[in-house]
Amino acid sequence: MMAVLPHILNGLTLGLLFALIALGFTLIVGVMEVINLAHGSLFALGAYFALTVLGGDWLGATAAAEWWTSLPLASRYIAALIFGPILAAGAGLLLEMCLRPTYGKAPLYGLLLTFGAALVIEEAIRLVWGTGEQHLMLPRSIDGAVFVGGLIYSKYKFFAAAFSAAAIVAVWLFLERTPYGAIIKAGSHDSEMVRALGYDLSRLRLLVFGFGASLAGLAGVVMVPIWGLRPHVGIDVVIPAFLIIVVGGIGSFWGAVVAAIMVGLAVGLTGAYAGAWATMSMYILLILVVGFRSRGLLGRKSALEN
Amino acid sequence: MSKKLISRRSLLGATATGGAIAAFAGPWKHNRVWAAGSDKPIKIGITSDASGQYANSGASDRRGMMMAIDEANEAGGVLGRKIEFVHLDTETTPATGSRVAERMISREECGFLIGAVSSGVANAISQVAQKYGVIYLNTNSSSPSESGANCHRVKFVWDGNGTNFAKAAVKNAIATYGKNWLLLTNDYVWGHDTAAATRKLLEEYGGTVTEEILVPQGTRDFSAALLKIQQSGPDVVSAAVGGDDQKAMRQQVAQLGMGEKPAWINSQQDWPDVYGLPLDNLFGVFGTTWYYKLDLPGVADFVKKYQERYPDTQMRVPGNVFYNGYMATRELLAAIERAGSTNNIAIIKQLEGHKMPAAERMQHDDAWIDPVTHQVQQTIYLATANSGTQDADDMFKIVNHSSPDAVLDSDAAAACKLESYEDTPTFDA
Repeated sequence: MMAVLPHILNGLTLGLLFALIALGFTLIVGVMEVINLAHGSLFALGAYFALTVLGGDWLGATAAAEWWTSLPLASRYIAALIFGPILAAGAGLLLEMCLRPTYGKAPLYGLLLTFGAALVIEEAIRLVWGTGEQHLMLPRSIDGAVFVGGLIYSKYKFFAAAFSAAAIVAVWLFLERTPYGAIIKAGSHDSEMVRALGYDLSRLRLLVFGFGASLAGLAGVVMVPIWGLRPHVGIDVVIPAFLIIVVGGIGSFWGAVVAAIMVGLAVGLTGAYAGAWATMSMYILLILVVGFRSRGLLGRKSALEN
Repeated sequence: MSKKLISRRSLLGATATGGAIAAFAGPWKHNRVWAAGSDKPIKIGITSDASGQYANSGASDRRGMMMAIDEANEAGGVLGRKIEFVHLDTETTPATGSRVAERMISREECGFLIGAVSSGVANAISQVAQKYGVIYLNTNSSSPSESGANCHRVKFVWDGNGTNFAKAAVKNAIATYGKNWLLLTNDYVWGHDTAAATRKLLEEYGGTVTEEILVPQGTRDFSAALLKIQQSGPDVVSAAVGGDDQKAMRQQVAQLGMGEKPAWINSQQDWPDVYGLPLDNLFGVFGTTWYYKLDLPGVADFVKKYQERYPDTQMRVPGNVFYNGYMATRELLAAIERAGSTNNIAIIKQLEGHKMPAAERMQHDDAWIDPVTHQVQQTIYLATANSGTQDADDMFKIVNHSSPDAVLDSDAAAACKLESYEDTPTFDA
């Protein structure tokens, strides 16, 4: 049993990171009923923006750049953690504007548009930041290793998991305790009713998409020191994110969190004891859950089930 | 209802058209002669990855091929004919590799195919190439099965294979680091074949495989495997992990400070997989066929030529993948010149057993193309991180080199059964 504990811990931390990735995705699907295939690209964009903020290249060869790079890495990292998601949100807002003509049409239009956007964003990343591997420098306080129960763990991974947990709680509080959150939640139940009550549906969609994109960007900044930063890193994100929201129940906040932890545990444990099945374990979990409960763990009951 | 009679003119026209189609398409599979003696350009199909796990290596491979093609064209072409090329992305996916090969041969009319980093992709391409008799140079994939069980008469393998690299590394590493080895294996053909070669050599030299951890292609988080390695406590981890997976793995190993203990052996490693990584990510020993700082005549000029031709490339110096792509293409074009024709069988005979002097290949030993397996037998180098340099490009130092004879893969020769010349469709490109 003692031998399994480190892997359970590893699976839990991995699950929290997956949850951060899936949150924005589930929010957009829930409110807008758009499967945003560009979610991974927004994830990558957030990380690349963070890289630029951290490095100070955007200031050119100026005194300001010199001043910026002379600042402690920790403060630049915090700035990257703030501005990476904000800039990704900007890209998300643009994408939402492009999506507008597809509203009210068959879901395939939105799907194709976001797929196209993913390709465009990836190519844009190649043009701006190049094709090679990049590194997001970490402050020393969260870099390196720490001993837990005689085994070495990545200090950063603990930080990232704790950060993800805090972000999940913050998003939940936002949705539960603020008027904007209430509108978003109402929108996810019945957007037409929200419009009927006098709220601007266009603005709601813009807000949700921007917010979802910022969460994707935030996940990017947090995850790439573990996954590595390359133009197609976003592709690695979309499949687990999609899988998690289906397992958790489309549009369900806590469903996504629970599913992400289950996926993390499945990947962590199979990675240790049956490595070849680590990726496959996600799909097996999906088959098991959807096989027994088609609407996912905490998904709303479909009209078809009545 | 109208009734039409077939006129004599239309009948003649149809017959002529049918005859023309039959002349070109009919014998395609077995005897395709469309351009003999013409000044039609020689068309090469570049089948390298531009996306997926090996996109970076694919780009480097392609640059090598293009430099060789440019040089040939600047020198007046081959047999007086211009060399043209077409590139299609094989996406690091075997199915796409097959599709691309089929299209390049039947629609783009390529007479030769070059390129591949993934062995799965290379194998897929080579099956299509053999069906048509089109010569295919597998530039950078290094699974032993490529020159073993999956060898083909039309396929030539330019990189060292997993057994070559393992032979160069295993014996020394047992003596230096210890007998207990853990295998960390990418779960696809190259990983499995390389791990099998390492396992066999370990048994031969008195080492033990304590455990093998398989990691699926596309693994981003190695923490489960690394925890298992800590729990297992081997002397050596022999990693057959490639492409972007290797980048992720290296960063995570370095972050945990596990690069020194246990010792890490990467039997083979491509330059684009590690270029630009911080020094503490470059732990361990790995095998390669070439390094841009080899102290040999011609290397500096080659590097200069690369830098002049590709001034804006992120990789500021050529690596082993570029080198393999360049050398393969150059040798193919030279073989066409020697054959004095673009007949595939004549060119295959020029390549089989062909000797390449060390000085021309910028390696320590003469190399040759094994006529039994179609693999280039060449010097294998072992390298490790160059800790004492300020030069960001000079990432490695060569620890030692092994002659082609010392690392010969006899298993591949036993497993390879090349198709006969008669069973290989012939044509002129």
